[in-house]
Amino acid sequence: MNFKLIKKRFLLAVLLVNFLFSCKNEEPIDIETNDFFKSVDKVTEIMVHDIFSPPVASRVYVYPNIAAYEIIAQKEDYNSLAGQLTNLTAIPKIEQPNVHIEMAALMAHLELSKKLIFSEDKLMTYRDSLYSVWEDKNSTQFKATKSYATQVVSHIEEWMNQDHYAQTRTMPKYTVNTNDPSRWQPTPPAYMDAIEPNWNKIRPMVLDSASQFKPEKHPEFSLKKNTAFFKELTEVYTVSKEITKKGDNSEEIQIAQFWDCNPYVSVTRGHLMFASKKITPGAHWIGITKIACQKNTSNFDDTVATFTKTSIGIFDGFISCWDEKYRSNLIRPETLINEHIDEEWKPILQTPPFPEYTSGHSVVSGAASTILTSIFGDNFAFDDTSEIPYGLPVRSFPSFNKAADEAAMSRLYGGIHYMAAIVNGLSQGRNIGSLVVNNVQLKPTKE
Amino acid sequence: MNRAICIGIILLSMVRCKPEGSVFKNVPPKQSGVDFINQVTATDELNILDYLYFYNGGGVSIGDINNDGLPDIYLTANQLKNKLYLNKGNLQFEDITTTAGVAGNSTWNTGTVMADVNNDGFLDIYVCTVVGINGFDGHNELFINNGDNTFSEQSAKYGLDFDTYSSSAAFFDYDLDGDLDMYLLNHAVHTPESFGKVDLRNRRTYETGDRLMRNDGTTFTDVSEEAGIYGGINGYGLGLNISDFNKDGYPDIYVGNDFHEDDYYYINQGDGTFKNELTAYFGHTSRFSMGNDAADINHDGWPDLMSLDMLPQEEKSIKSTEGDDSYQTLQLRTKQFGYHYQYTRNMLYINQKNTPYLETALLSGVAATDWSWSVLIEDYNQDGNQDMFISNGIPKRPNDLDFIKFVSSEKIRKKINQTKLVDQEALNMMPSGKTHNYVYEGTGTLAFNDQSGKWLVKDNLVSGATAFGDLDNDGDLDLVINNLNESALILENKTNASANYLKLAFKSTEQNAKGIGTKVYSYHNGILQYKELTTTRGFQASSEPIVHFGYGQHTTIDSIKIVWPNQKEQMLRSIAVNQTLLIDDNKAQKNNQNVYESSANLFTKVEDNLGIDFVHKEDAYVDFHRQRLIPYKVSEQGPALAVGDLNHDGTEDIFLGSSHRQPSRIYLQKEGLFQLQKSKTVYQDSIAEDVSAAIMDINNDKKSDLLVATAGSVFPENHISMSTRLYLQEDAQFGKAKTIEDIFGNSSIIISDEEYVFVGGHTVTNKYGEIPNSYILRKENGTLKKIQEFPLGMITDAIWSDFNQDGKKDLIVVGEWMTPLFLEHQQGTFVEQEVSGELLSGLWQSIISYDIDQDGDIDYLLGNWGTNSKLTASSKFPLKLYYNDFNKDGVYDPIVTINKHGDEYAITTFDDLALQMPDLRKKYNTYQDFAGQTVVQIFGKEVIEKSETFEVQTLASGYLKNEKGNFYFVPFQEELQLAPIKTFVKYDFDHDGKQEVLTAGNFFGVIPYHGRFDSFPGALIQSDAQIQLGNTLGLDFQFKSARHLTIIHINKKPYLLATFNNEKVQLYEF
Repeated sequence: MNFKLIKKRFLLAVLLVNFLFSCKNEEPIDIETNDFFKSVDKVTEIMVHDIFSPPVASRVYVYPNIAAYEIIAQKEDYNSLAGQLTNLTAIPKIEQPNVHIEMAALMAHLELSKKLIFSEDKLMTYRDSLYSVWEDKNSTQFKATKSYATQVVSHIEEWMNQDHYAQTRTMPKYTVNTNDPSRWQPTPPAYMDAIEPNWNKIRPMVLDSASQFKPEKHPEFSLKKNTAFFKELTEVYTVSKEITKKGDNSEEIQIAQFWDCNPYVSVTRGHLMFASKKITPGAHWIGITKIACQKNTSNFDDTVATFTKTSIGIFDGFISCWDEKYRSNLIRPETLINEHIDEEWKPILQTPPFPEYTSGHSVVSGAASTILTSIFGDNFAFDDTSEIPYGLPVRSFPSFNKAADEAAMSRLYGGIHYMAAIVNGLSQGRNIGSLVVNNVQLKPTKE
Repeated sequence: MNRAICIGIILLSMVRCKPEGSVFKNVPPKQSGVDFINQVTATDELNILDYLYFYNGGGVSIGDINNDGLPDIYLTANQLKNKLYLNKGNLQFEDITTTAGVAGNSTWNTGTVMADVNNDGFLDIYVCTVVGINGFDGHNELFINNGDNTFSEQSAKYGLDFDTYSSSAAFFDYDLDGDLDMYLLNHAVHTPESFGKVDLRNRRTYETGDRLMRNDGTTFTDVSEEAGIYGGINGYGLGLNISDFNKDGYPDIYVGNDFHEDDYYYINQGDGTFKNELTAYFGHTSRFSMGNDAADINHDGWPDLMSLDMLPQEEKSIKSTEGDDSYQTLQLRTKQFGYHYQYTRNMLYINQKNTPYLETALLSGVAATDWSWSVLIEDYNQDGNQDMFISNGIPKRPNDLDFIKFVSSEKIRKKINQTKLVDQEALNMMPSGKTHNYVYEGTGTLAFNDQSGKWLVKDNLVSGATAFGDLDNDGDLDLVINNLNESALILENKTNASANYLKLAFKSTEQNAKGIGTKVYSYHNGILQYKELTTTRGFQASSEPIVHFGYGQHTTIDSIKIVWPNQKEQMLRSIAVNQTLLIDDNKAQKNNQNVYESSANLFTKVEDNLGIDFVHKEDAYVDFHRQRLIPYKVSEQGPALAVGDLNHDGTEDIFLGSSHRQPSRIYLQKEGLFQLQKSKTVYQDSIAEDVSAAIMDINNDKKSDLLVATAGSVFPENHISMSTRLYLQEDAQFGKAKTIEDIFGNSSIIISDEEYVFVGGHTVTNKYGEIPNSYILRKENGTLKKIQEFPLGMITDAIWSDFNQDGKKDLIVVGEWMTPLFLEHQQGTFVEQEVSGELLSGLWQSIISYDIDQDGDIDYLLGNWGTNSKLTASSKFPLKLYYNDFNKDGVYDPIVTINKHGDEYAITTFDDLALQMPDLRKKYNTYQDFAGQTVVQIFGKEVIEKSETFEVQTLASGYLKNEKGNFYFVPFQEELQLAPIKTFVKYDFDHDGKQEVLTAGNFFGVIPYHGRFDSFPGALIQSDAQIQLGNTLGLDFQFKSARHLTIIHINKKPYLLATFNNEKVQLYEF
């Protein structure tokens, strides 16, 4: 059937209804916190479908959040991020009395997200249904709000487009050199190219440079027994062996799988290849942010603020982590174990396609947990339900920091990281988190 | 009359739907009585997820089981009972399975072979099975023919009751002791998640390792290990062929392996052992190797080989299915894991008599026949040339990219975990891989013409195992195809009496009864046809044990030579066509001269190179990592080579330019040997990648000076290492280099005559598609003065030549994406001249002047890219390069397009394009959306029209034929189109008082999409009609990428010096 025709007819009907009831078209529009969650969830869902790598996903989250937040910050209770984030200038002021601030925030979030994801149709269907309801309720307010949101989106987009993302697309790919035994090389089963080797060229928001929190060096590469590096290598192997023996229901394997957060796991069954797709580490912490806001019954404005601050930490976290990854270019345990210890060994999680040091999940978990702790306090217990759509169970945590500790350790259990990447990654992330907490002031007065 | 034609046309159009091509006619099951269907049913317990070869289909064997002169058909079903159909004549068959007792008792049957295993004159039937996975039960079965249309299963008695993962078997006499031994082809089933080291093949695994079974009279003995047969877990054996590939009298084995394991080329050592010599004879192979077949297609009396893969032909399928590896993955798989070069397409290997094969599938037009299973090379239209029938199809394409990346995750995962059965809905989203079977008409040369849809109707079947036989005894070859979930198909050959034939069957008393391994040479009208009787051919099948020749309209065959496996031979003379001969070996005579001996070589390699120990090492720079869409590497132009007296002692010395960060070398000649000169000044310039050099006296001190041009693409144009340098000779040493006249950039060529120097610019670093300057300099007052500077094109080579016969040396320049340029020398400047005739644009690589047509004037030989490539070009449908900032990110990208049916398609995959231009993912959410899009559809008409556009009208190497000053391009013969031709040199190599031209080439700087241009063995060109390939002359050029050929005099004797990229130099005496 002709979809377009149906769409046209539907629009016509909507217009007709609008026209007939135009005198009644003055209802107040309620924007709820849940609407923001829905918008974020929708974007997450599309990102999983479109397959965004973890660093790129962090970028898809952060800019729409900032656009939404900057609109909220037009209220007096919040500080604008202009001047607080690198090169961000103030968005246009609200001049129209009819602008609905929360609606504008949501619109800006949706509109900027749409520019960042690929499968626009999927988001547009969602957006259009929202828009038609709003317009139906109060078209004057809707139009004024939309026009304002559009201005803000252009403003943020202009800033966003100067973050060197486009330039990094055309920068050199990572070159494998197997003559250097410590240098990262592609891993089974897909032997994918290294992801985002130039991500450290992306403009950070709070960090003064990608290398501000350059972690200490990993133990010097060596395949000699009794060296710190080789011990860490054998640790990955023995831990994996031990927990495999314990079985799939062991706590360690449960932890590894819960925090896998690999957006693209390539699976081959027989002659069949397919992808097992999950959310990224950043998305997982966005999920936790939602859970915390829900538990805390944060209002719309605080929710947007919390998402914004957390996603800034995640965004800068990936830049910092990727800076180190392609500085040290360290080889993954899977390559070394197959080469030197056990050629049959496979890690419990699929090794993601980029160098080992430091652990991205550890850095991001460190950053996000620190920011969330600063907002909600330590010992904020929560049930983490964010992996349910991906077939994983709920896990409960006494605090964000404990969750971050577990997320970091999951990389050892998963067989994809050495201990140094976990320990140093966590502290790298926590440093970034603290910097964001200290440098990004969302409220005029400290709570 | 007109009316009659009209009626004829009407009648024709009425019967158009009849399943009939001009050569093959479908025989309906109702008519033939062959009502066989290999119905494969997926269940919760058993489907494509549990067994990767679930859709590989059954087998078919053809042979006369009751010796009534009519070949019978045996068909195996994977899950159902096998069937034997007795030929009653007139293409009518009777199912005698039950009375014959050959239905089989195994759960999963695969290939089948008919062979006289017990040598009693009656064909027995062997059936392969998969046992031991998925609850598959049973064992391979050997049905011994009782001689009365009944059989007894005796596999255990003979020791052939394997319970392994077998797909096919071949019976052949490897030890020439007169009985049939057996090779059993097994396949791995473990998921190829990681490549694993290549040495996995050395560790024998019971279920998956191939077996060689020696016939010891009443039973077979497993001799696999002592015979050197691999038995690893990574051998996905799908293709099997037995032929005496090296013609030493002992049958050899070719095994085609699926996935990352290499194919095996087992050469029979004659002592009961085999040696895998794949890498010595094959530059590269098919990757997902499936069925194969061997036959002499070019009438030289040596078996050529075709190995199938799964490359589709249609844009829509190519761009939506997983294709080749990335450049880097291939590097990893070859360098790190030790596998050979493999590419996803059919390969046609032309036998070169104990030197490496030439791989010509792209040039021959047979590289892409989609998901292909079986190839049978025979003369179906009986015109005297070998044709090809290729069966193909898969119910669903599991390598569909949308399925892998988008559909599967959401639809199939839960199902897999819960029910194991693939969700039908998900399967429906996988596109069908049903493609018509292909038939190619042979021409006797390397070219094949696609006659699918003409010779036979295009079908919509999933066709697999195929066998031939003359089912109706009318002299031509009919085909039987085992299809998946559809009736087996009999294709009746209708050639009948329209072309002549000869059929030979064999009967032996001292050797295997049916004469398996017998070679037949047929000579008619000066044409040789050669065949060897082997029955296991194609895929999971064996064909009728006969040898068949076609002769077109020729009515007598001058002679037939028959060489039996025991090397006894017999000659038949003046044989009439259109008959079947049963040849007995009782008249055969011993003859020991059948072993091939190569003739004396013109060139002899000087093994120690007389001290020139230079090995060019290319640096690790990968152009594709910086310019993802560049069509080929421009950083592999070296080494530079120049020969001249570099220390003023009257002997010729050598300059060899190295790649980036490797020191260039000077070798000085002393008493007929060479010594490395430690030149400090040259060493200091190691950072430069030296690609071309010239030697001339610049400062008029009668001593040779050295000019060096650089490239490498690593540094920007203005970088100090990118300067064109001059070293002046002082006291037999070179002084510090000087930059010549501010000339910087990626050059390709520097040439000099007494007065002028030309420097050709090739590319601009990181901006492939931009045209750099080229330069002409003049020697003035002991220094070089720039007189001209112009963007001529992407220059690759140039010569001084007086093309207008005015006594002054003019300049001819060639390059990529351009026509050859003729620059006339006019009072100190060189001015571009229109030359009349037909100069085509090409990816020109090299040029030399030579009177190739021997008519007294000078022609110009031109090296091009070659036509053995996925790239295509013609004047009507040129290869194109669009250069533009397509996505307005400030970076210009080169997009190369080929023309298919009038539309232009980028050769790049969607992933590579979208990595560079991410917003394309917004325009195309799925691979299906992108697949089949023309460049205009992708980028818009306006953008394409505003792009800088380059064209190539021909990829063929050839020559500009001089016809009274007009020049017309004439392509060389096929053998010179195998790879890019990089260099020419002129000399009287054969000492006949006349000069010849020697040429060399090959190029590896391409992504796996293009494969590997490694097949050109070089050639000696005496005239347009007289060309000899280098492998027949003693030249070791194949699998190496040549850069320069030159003559050097050592102790006043001429030698040939050849340089290669990333290789040792070679020195030859002649």
